Amino acid sequence: MATPTKAEQEEELLALYRNLARIRALELLLNRYIEKEGFGGFWHPGLGQEGVQAGAVAALREDDYLFYAHRGLGYALAKGMSPVTLLADLFGKRGGSVGGKGGGTVHFVDPARGVLGQGGTVGSSFVLGAGVGVSSQLLGDDRVTAIFFGDGSSARGTWHEAALTAAVWKLPLVWICENNGWAISVPIAEQSPTENIADRAAAYGVPGVVVDGQDAVAVREATAEAVARARAGEGPTLIEAKTLRIRGHFEGDKQAYREDIIDGLEVPRDPLKILRERGVPAAEADRLEEEARAEAEAALQEVLAMDAGDEATVIEGVWV
Amino acid sequence: MSAVTAVTVERGEKLGYARAINAAMAEEMRRDERVWTLGQDVGRMGGVFGVTRGLYEEFGADRVRDTTLNETFIVGAAVGAALTGTIPVAELQFADFMMIAGDEVFHKMAKWRYMHGGNLSVPMVLRLPTGVLGGVGAEHSQSLEALGMHFPGLKVVLPATPADAKGLLKTAIRDPNPVLYFEHKGMYRVKGPVPDDPDFLIPFGEAALRRAGSDLTVVATGLMVPRALEAAERLAEDGIELEVIDPRTLVPLDMETIVASVERTGRALVVHEAVRTAGPGAEIAARIQESAFFALEAPVWRLGALDTPVPQSPDLEQLVIPSSDQIVAAARELVAI
Repeated sequence: MATPTKAEQEEELLALYRNLARIRALELLLNRYIEKEGFGGFWHPGLGQEGVQAGAVAALREDDYLFYAHRGLGYALAKGMSPVTLLADLFGKRGGSVGGKGGGTVHFVDPARGVLGQGGTVGSSFVLGAGVGVSSQLLGDDRVTAIFFGDGSSARGTWHEAALTAAVWKLPLVWICENNGWAISVPIAEQSPTENIADRAAAYGVPGVVVDGQDAVAVREATAEAVARARAGEGPTLIEAKTLRIRGHFEGDKQAYREDIIDGLEVPRDPLKILRERGVPAAEADRLEEEARAEAEAALQEVLAMDAGDEATVIEGVWV
Repeated sequence: MSAVTAVTVERGEKLGYARAINAAMAEEMRRDERVWTLGQDVGRMGGVFGVTRGLYEEFGADRVRDTTLNETFIVGAAVGAALTGTIPVAELQFADFMMIAGDEVFHKMAKWRYMHGGNLSVPMVLRLPTGVLGGVGAEHSQSLEALGMHFPGLKVVLPATPADAKGLLKTAIRDPNPVLYFEHKGMYRVKGPVPDDPDFLIPFGEAALRRAGSDLTVVATGLMVPRALEAAERLAEDGIELEVIDPRTLVPLDMETIVASVERTGRALVVHEAVRTAGPGAEIAARIQESAFFALEAPVWRLGALDTPVPQSPDLEQLVIPSSDQIVAAARELVAI
């Protein structure tokens, strides 16, 4: 792989900032909307975790596969899905990718962009993702599958079953753990006997990497290395990105179990600020944030005017 | 010892039920490179029941993958692969192990197309050795096909002859939807004629009329099909004629054939190896009375396994599932009503 030129590096940094800003704008917009208007479903906000989502996806090819985790829309937005589609799924509109069956943090999907969904039962993507890796091996399509998951779902037995065989079969996978320190109400120290979830990689003989999840560039670099390894046929990598949970498990969760509640919407160690410090010019950053806010607001207005799913939606799509 | 090979069916050949399954897999893997298989010991060993023998030798370790002891992986990986352009035929060593992979079978296989607005599909087959075998115990002997009927999105297949085993499996592999294929492990060695046509497909949702008769409709599945036929031969000596219908697939279910038969005979008995309570027969009996109530001259009866776990003793396990004697007795009573 050729080393990118300075101009290319600057362009990449701006593209990364743009996606961070777009994800943040949607997060804040949804927060305000739900606070004011209420909401029929459950929304699991990803505020503060944008650095992991945008950073990791920036290291993927357009045709690489992705299973997202349940906090936010950032993964799919960064992978190229339109905010209109994503919000339409969130609001149960027919213009969403699941045609009106959505509502709340949903199962948006876009096979053309490799977006394959998430398990409603969290942690189930480990075994599904491994199977996608087998397809890539059999078809020789050179694609890599990124599987996002939280520290909570790292406890699932599916992790062990998938990691064991994926490592033996050298499947082209990258596991990205967004460790935000909380499995709903249980802090990480009560979930894990070791400081790092990435330490578990050693049991499967695969690399385990800890990275600062607030630094999107660091996440991108760690992911790029893992992706290159996977694509070269050397097997999976476990990346643990340390991040923060700002909001509750779902919007409306008062977090009474938590002593370190972060008041308001300020993000400590904000991934946007960190990227500005890494060299995004302030004027450019301001402009990208403004564009992102406008994009999010326009998307919301377009979606609110759409038709919702109806009786016909209910019986569609059981069989091919 | 000759080399282990997958089955190639010769014209006019009689094959065992297990060899017919092997032939279906081998033919479909030859026809379509996207078809592959995974499971415990399906490779070099050829499966604990020998069903996949020779596939590893013919198609190699990439397409015939031995897994470790990990049912959630076997089914979950099959689903993931099915979502992305290949067609897995996954094997669980025993149908009972479906529960270990419950999330993968009943959520991922069954629901992922629907949940995603039809944008994904799950073209895969899960092979499930089912039923009593003789001494394999309570956790390896169950008939769990009703579970498949209870989760919308799954198709449910139960072949009762070698020809059906082949034709239904080939249809399952070519079906773009997820299929639970319950193969009776007590019937693996039963031989019968098997067509050699590589495009021999048995459509889903078409029941087979196994025997025509005018006095009582018996709807039987799996191992109960030969037992019902045996009962019918004995009753014929006394002038009682059973009509035996094998639905072959429970989802979709060919109620049209069943109802038409009941309208002729006026009586129906449903027989299965699954537990009687909330077994497939409960659904079939309910649908018969919904559609053919005024043709019925007697209540619709069900014969199924006792509401107990299956005991490990080979002698005792036969006391739990319906015998041909019990079918004879139930039929005599029913036609006398």
